[in-house]
Amino acid sequence: MSSRSAWRALHYSAKRRAFQPTTPYRCFSCTRRAHDPKSDHERMTHFGFTNVPESEKESRVGAVFSSVASSYDTMNDLMSLGIHRIWKDHFVRSLNPGCPVANRDVDGKTKGWNILDIAGGTGDIAFRMLDHATNINHDLETRVTISDINADMLAEGQKRSIETPYYNTSRLSFVEANAESMPHIPDASVDLYTVVFGIRNFTDKQAALNEAFRVLKPGGVFACMEFSKVDNPLFDAVYKRWNFSAIPLIGQVVAGDRDSYQYLVESIERFPSQEEFRGMIQKAGFMIPGRGYENLTGGIAAIHKGIKPVIKS
Amino acid sequence: MASLRASPFPRRALASYFQSVRLQPTPLNTATLLPRIQPTRSPRTCSSASIRPYHSTLHPRLPEHEYTNSQTAILTAALHHIPAHGFTLEALTLGARDAGFLDVSVQLLPRAEFDLILFWLASRRGILRSRVEEAALFTKRAAGSGRDPASLSVEEKTKILIAERLRMNTEIKAHWQDALAQMSLLGNIPISLSELHALSNDILSLAGDSSVDGSWYTRRMAVSAIYASAEVVMTRDPTPDLSETIAFVDRRFEDKLVLKEKFEGVGQCVSFWGNTAVGVGRSWGMKI
Repeated sequence: MSSRSAWRALHYSAKRRAFQPTTPYRCFSCTRRAHDPKSDHERMTHFGFTNVPESEKESRVGAVFSSVASSYDTMNDLMSLGIHRIWKDHFVRSLNPGCPVANRDVDGKTKGWNILDIAGGTGDIAFRMLDHATNINHDLETRVTISDINADMLAEGQKRSIETPYYNTSRLSFVEANAESMPHIPDASVDLYTVVFGIRNFTDKQAALNEAFRVLKPGGVFACMEFSKVDNPLFDAVYKRWNFSAIPLIGQVVAGDRDSYQYLVESIERFPSQEEFRGMIQKAGFMIPGRGYENLTGGIAAIHKGIKPVIKS
Repeated sequence: MASLRASPFPRRALASYFQSVRLQPTPLNTATLLPRIQPTRSPRTCSSASIRPYHSTLHPRLPEHEYTNSQTAILTAALHHIPAHGFTLEALTLGARDAGFLDVSVQLLPRAEFDLILFWLASRRGILRSRVEEAALFTKRAAGSGRDPASLSVEEKTKILIAERLRMNTEIKAHWQDALAQMSLLGNIPISLSELHALSNDILSLAGDSSVDGSWYTRRMAVSAIYASAEVVMTRDPTPDLSETIAFVDRRFEDKLVLKEKFEGVGQCVSFWGNTAVGVGRSWGMKI
């Protein structure tokens, strides 16, 4: 009985939703519509499955990441069943940052690599790269600049960096910037540009790729790890089911924020396929090594690489 | 000159077609045949779509490797660092620096060390060909042993080529075991085998082998087996001029001859007894 009454209550309240007028609200005193009419000329972009004006996407993505920043790591572990750590380790190992001892000049000095980690707010990739350079290649000069558009994510990374040996050294720095235009970074100054699980949130991906091309030295590498398209249809069905059912639920239970995680899975779905994204990298002017991408776990994620050509004088 | 050899798929029709082509007078045949059998050629890209199922001396050779200009620049520069650093990422990085790239640019080679090994193999294969075609290797070797180069058999030429190819490995002998280990990794085996086939194919076509029957396969397999085992022997060969390895190759060629005789003997025996059995059956009135 009690369950029936609960059902009725639900049903009842659902019926008594706030009334929404079909015509927009109009002022008494004037004939102008009260709300700001969206100009038809403004370019639209994806925000998950909905279309939003380009000017709005940045703030909406900002809101998503501000809300997930604190539970970011736990949620990544739960959503990917811990596999994201393996992907990130593989990504860093394949890039092999740092200058190994065998390759140094006679005096053993090295200038190290200048690495720019875009959308790396929480420092996941940056700390791994510094660890690899230090422990594997014994390179104490390689430095990473973490750049993120979201101050909350950067704050999370700064908090975490206290635990690492790179805290408060010149090897690690934080910058709050939009990857689509970074006037504070001079042309041809970066050896390695990485963006890991970030580029799908950018408003204009091509602009970000062009900016990456600008800041990289000739011969420098653009490396990107991003969710991609699964090639096996059977596995794809399972993966989609997990994405659209489990992840928002986990988000709701653990982080108390369903909408942000709904946005995450929708943005994954909207991101271009491996081939399309490779085309975008090539369009920015990069050379593509081999096939241009490497699928991880059947294509759930993919590593894309591009190399800025060296122009021989 | 215009001899055409059916290569990996010598279907009988194809083979007889090519044989008939070979009998025709040369100038006419070049002019009339080219438009018909030349496949549509697009500018060569990094794909393997343009692999021809047959070999023809009328066609320009496919390039030894499929690397782009920047990749070739890095790899060529890295070859000079192999004697000192081996087939390692260090050699590649130093090569990238020599070619004007950054340390990080070795990302251009997705297979890293294995690309260096493949490039070494492919470039040595190209050098072997140019030594025969431009530096008249056979004439030199024949003059060395006081013989007429025209009198060298396919077998002898094959031996000369294998020895020549093995000698190219002298300076990197110490590192070759690493390379063999890399090549024997599961994912690398198919490419390594196709490279070995390309080498044995080159050796045999340079030696003038023109078989279009089943022996096309057995010859290439035999040369591949001999070369691959000789490479393993070479890594443990203390002599500076690889004389032990060369002696090993000579012995393997003798074995090959013995094996060939044995197989032919067994084949003859089987066909004799088969024919006899059929004959006996027919004499008994069986409808065979």
